[in-house]
Amino acid sequence: MKTLLKPSDIADKSDRLCHVAPGELTPLPYPYEDFNQTVLTPLKPEKIGNIEASLDDTVAIGIPKPANQEEEEALVRQFLSGLKKLFEKENNWTFLQPLLLSMEHCAKCHTCSDACPVFEMSGRKEIYRPIFRSEVLRRVYRKYLKPGGKITAKLTGDIDLNWKTIARLAELSYRCTLCRRCAMVCPIGVDNGLINHEIRKLFSQEMGIAPKEIHDKGSVQHLKVGSSTGMNPMAAKDSAEFIQEEMEEITGYKVDIPWDVEGADILLIHNAGEMLAWPENVGAFAIIFQAAGISWTMSSEAAGYDAVNYGLWYDDVQFARVAVKHADIARRLKVKKIVIGECGHAHKALTVIADRLLTDDLNIPRESAMVTLENIVMNGKLKFDPLKNNFPVTLHDPCNVVRAMGIVEPQRRILRKIAPRFREMTPHGVENYCCGGGSGFAIMSGYNFAEWRNLVSSRKKFLQILNAFEDEPQAVPKYVCAPCSNCKGAIRDIINYYHAEERSHLYYGGLVELIVNAFEGMKKPIISFGEKPSWE
Amino acid sequence: MGYYILTYFCIAVFAATIGRLIYRHLTLPLHVRWEIYPVMHEMAERNVYGGSYMEKSDWWRSPYEPSRLNEFKYMVPEILLIRGLWKENKRLWMASFPFHLGLYLMMATVVLLLCHAFFILWAGTAFAADGIIRMIMNGLIPAAGWLGLTAGIAGGLFMLYKRLADRELRNYSTFADYFNLLFILLFFVFALLTVLSGDPSLNGARHYVLGLLTAGAFDPVYAPGQTIPGAFTIVLASLLIAYIPLTHMSHMFMKYFLYHSVKWDDIPNKRGSSIESAVIMNLKFKPTWKAKHIGADGQKSWRDIASSAPREMK
Ligand code: SF4
Ligand code: SF4
Repeated sequence: MKTLLKPSDIADKSDRLCHVAPGELTPLPYPYEDFNQTVLTPLKPEKIGNIEASLDDTVAIGIPKPANQEEEEALVRQFLSGLKKLFEKENNWTFLQPLLLSMEHCAKCHTCSDACPVFEMSGRKEIYRPIFRSEVLRRVYRKYLKPGGKITAKLTGDIDLNWKTIARLAELSYRCTLCRRCAMVCPIGVDNGLINHEIRKLFSQEMGIAPKEIHDKGSVQHLKVGSSTGMNPMAAKDSAEFIQEEMEEITGYKVDIPWDVEGADILLIHNAGEMLAWPENVGAFAIIFQAAGISWTMSSEAAGYDAVNYGLWYDDVQFARVAVKHADIARRLKVKKIVIGECGHAHKALTVIADRLLTDDLNIPRESAMVTLENIVMNGKLKFDPLKNNFPVTLHDPCNVVRAMGIVEPQRRILRKIAPRFREMTPHGVENYCCGGGSGFAIMSGYNFAEWRNLVSSRKKFLQILNAFEDEPQAVPKYVCAPCSNCKGAIRDIINYYHAEERSHLYYGGLVELIVNAFEGMKKPIISFGEKPSWE
Repeated sequence: MGYYILTYFCIAVFAATIGRLIYRHLTLPLHVRWEIYPVMHEMAERNVYGGSYMEKSDWWRSPYEPSRLNEFKYMVPEILLIRGLWKENKRLWMASFPFHLGLYLMMATVVLLLCHAFFILWAGTAFAADGIIRMIMNGLIPAAGWLGLTAGIAGGLFMLYKRLADRELRNYSTFADYFNLLFILLFFVFALLTVLSGDPSLNGARHYVLGLLTAGAFDPVYAPGQTIPGAFTIVLASLLIAYIPLTHMSHMFMKYFLYHSVKWDDIPNKRGSSIESAVIMNLKFKPTWKAKHIGADGQKSWRDIASSAPREMK
């Protein structure tokens, strides 16, 4: 039996701390057994020569290697200075109390381990255990920042702090999807997801270290250009125009997307990724709102048409900047409320987290689209023919919508009304498993990271989806309803990676598409499976 | 008198540590919301599946009305029966439950001993030798004591065994973890030896508490710690009282904050509310984060920085 890695091994001098060998990942069932020996494509030496890649088989950030010992030492000092700030109210009032409580009360009972899909699917690799990184941080904090730490470390757990420790810890903070399933089951209430979040913050806010997809191309581009997709306001309006035309062509329904309507009841903000990757989602929202006679608008101001807030995953300051922008746009448009489209992290960011950031007239009421849609579907004004959705449907619960916000039933009540063959995954609701794309993973694909996501962090979701449709014949098209752009991205990728469209007839999409598909009197379906429309 | 002084001192350390911990948490700045559903004070129909008030359209028009009763209904079995662990980790519960039960019954025994002393010292007439209250006390004190000691030893040994035998648990266990367990076990063992060696009704403990409350004046003939196990029990119990809040075992009390101030803190920020005032205060803090994009200089407040652009854009 191999010896288990310990938190102190993170300082180890080896070139790679953890490696997943063929056959170690949790096995997949028929017809996916051919993937059971698949492991990550090895990182090319020439690509990783100058970056830190000594944690495992992948790289999320790609931190440049320090040039010399002095630089290493300077980085260690920077790290310690950032760590200290995590425990200061001036710097971290946002999460100080939750962090202190989680740092001080873990009983190391490992109840959280079995709740973590990354740890479980990886074949129980120690570095992915929820408390592994928390223990590393605790030990460093106690030893290097607490009085007498060097002595107490011998009793409460020792660790060496060198550049390897730090570089690996930075990478390791991007092997957890922040799904907080571990926190939900911890009998004491300790939150390893939160500790991981704070580690990411330390690296970003003090050392400027974060994956480029979520910082440079993400939150910075969002604030600079208007959207993390790179779409400026003009391009956003163009793509909406294209969506209107597409909708008319696909469904026969003529729709108008209203822009910048002052005094509208609702400001609808989508994840702008929808406009590019899933325009039918944006179109379907417009059809529903128009058909229901809702007073609504979209904003063409920079950041106003993109609900994402990547800061939620790694940086409180970037988070605050985007949240304030969103609220300010709504304030100036004088809308009655903001409705957040099908984007899980945007739900939590603007509704829950920003709640204790926005004051006075920036504190505009904010509502989940699940709730707005339920109101529309249930109030009887619109007529539905559920048989138009007569195919097997299962629902993926975005962690940020269910576990982090408690929006669980509205989407289900809608599905029970319009999708006669809806079935749940096991487990579901607040106990759901993450899609594997949470906390930025869905948009991170440098080096071989997307492969790691498909093989490890999304594996549990893939198994859950297969289980939900276990009783259906292979040839029947099946629909995974994922009311979140990032989750949709991750599910799209697993379907592609495992050839699940060919092998299991798996398709995916949002909730609004199902609603529009079931509209009575709609000439053509919005959902099609491959070439075939869903009604056939 | 030395024993009494030690116990007074340890109780003072306990009170000061707990007081400090609680004070610190009560005076920390209000943090952002980070609740996890299910939030147990939600109304019954949403509580069952973990829903929140945000499931209601225009929820901000309704008053925020958490159900303390639902919270209580969850908390009581959680504290007494360690229900969360039963649900998520039954194998560990088998050890953890008797261990915690032992500790709870020890606390109950102390409370009973205090009541007993109170009756004797200040309500003598209600505590006549053949009175009902005395009979009940005489039954409850040894029952809680014996049961607690037995459960505590069984649970403690089982916990120790698990920590040593399970390679995953062992891998994260440090000297302090074993020390904590052994410390508590040692107290249980000496206390059991004391009652086994001729004091099944816990008379020694009754006298000791009476002595503590009267600084030894109640019965000048009684001298604590006459037997070796008795002396060890007093010393270990006293030290344990001082020690527990200094370790992660303070979760016994701090769980209140873990749950109420974080996991279940879903209080919305309404305009003009005390939450809003606290947020306004927080936004005045001046961060010193060093990364370039933050643009902090120790002079600008969170409010200034949140309404500015990152450095990369300028
Ligand atoms: S975080 Fe909670 S569940 Fe996990 S080991 Fe610590 S106490 Fe146990
Ligand atoms: S937050 Fe999710 S992914 Fe991260 S350690 Fe916890 S369970 Fe695992």
